Amino acid sequence: MKILIADDSRVMRQIVVRTLRQAGFGDHDLVEAADGKEALDMANAEKPDLVISDWNMPHLTGIEVLRQLRAAGNNVKFGFVTSESTPEMKEAAESSGAAFFIVKPFTAERFDEVFTPILG
Amino acid sequence: MSVEVEVNESDLAEMVEQVWESYLDPEGVSPLIPTYDENQPSEVHSSVSITGSWSGHVVYASSMAAAQRAAAAFLAMEMDEVSEEDISDTLGELANIVGGNVKAMLPSGAQLSLPQVVLAPESSARYPNAQRISGVYGIWEGEPVSISMWHSSSDNKEEEGE
Repeated sequence: MKILIADDSRVMRQIVVRTLRQAGFGDHDLVEAADGKEALDMANAEKPDLVISDWNMPHLTGIEVLRQLRAAGNNVKFGFVTSESTPEMKEAAESSGAAFFIVKPFTAERFDEVFTPILG
Repeated sequence: MSVEVEVNESDLAEMVEQVWESYLDPEGVSPLIPTYDENQPSEVHSSVSITGSWSGHVVYASSMAAAQRAAAAFLAMEMDEVSEEDISDTLGELANIVGGNVKAMLPSGAQLSLPQVVLAPESSARYPNAQRISGVYGIWEGEPVSISMWHSSSDNKEEEGE
């Protein structure tokens, strides 16, 4: 499967990639986007099976990316990895069709718990 | 009276501990050892601003060696392989993670800024109309690291009973 990791922080993308490997998902095809606009473009062009997105990003926020994808009829599995989490954000994520909400800092165990049902 | 800060020193310490457990010391061998010295020196710092229901800044500051060590831990590299960009990105992310966790505990309606990184001591920074209200100050592998919260007085409006 192809996984798109969207985060404006290069170190955080690296940590997400490493944590995916630690949780046993390193064999999947991993692609990266460095801001919300790139995430949207790549979600359309690369056709990933899963998008793991930061919330707070330049150009487009993660929730804007998700909403634009859904508005265009793209139903790719999409969820958030974010240092911010408020009940409002979780609600917005859920009502926009997000599949998961992971709060930073996270562990490999948390990734395993969330992604095993999605990635098998 | 201003909005009571709902994030105290022990909340901050718990967030910091989680960052160490998850990224900086996953093996549990080199924790941040508290010094309670709010005047300890730093060489680099990063911050995020929070505005809205509560206004202020969350600041991460450390020595250059501690920043290098953090970047090496974040990026799974050796310390001598770490570039200045690696250090900046890591400092920005550290402020972002702690700031995001702080924001989660504040009343709704707070906005978090993108991080700002300065490769200069925290003592060179000025946060106008803001006061340091709490902090975690410690030594990590012999090097100073601190995480502190600054509250801006600009939102000291009557907001009781909201």
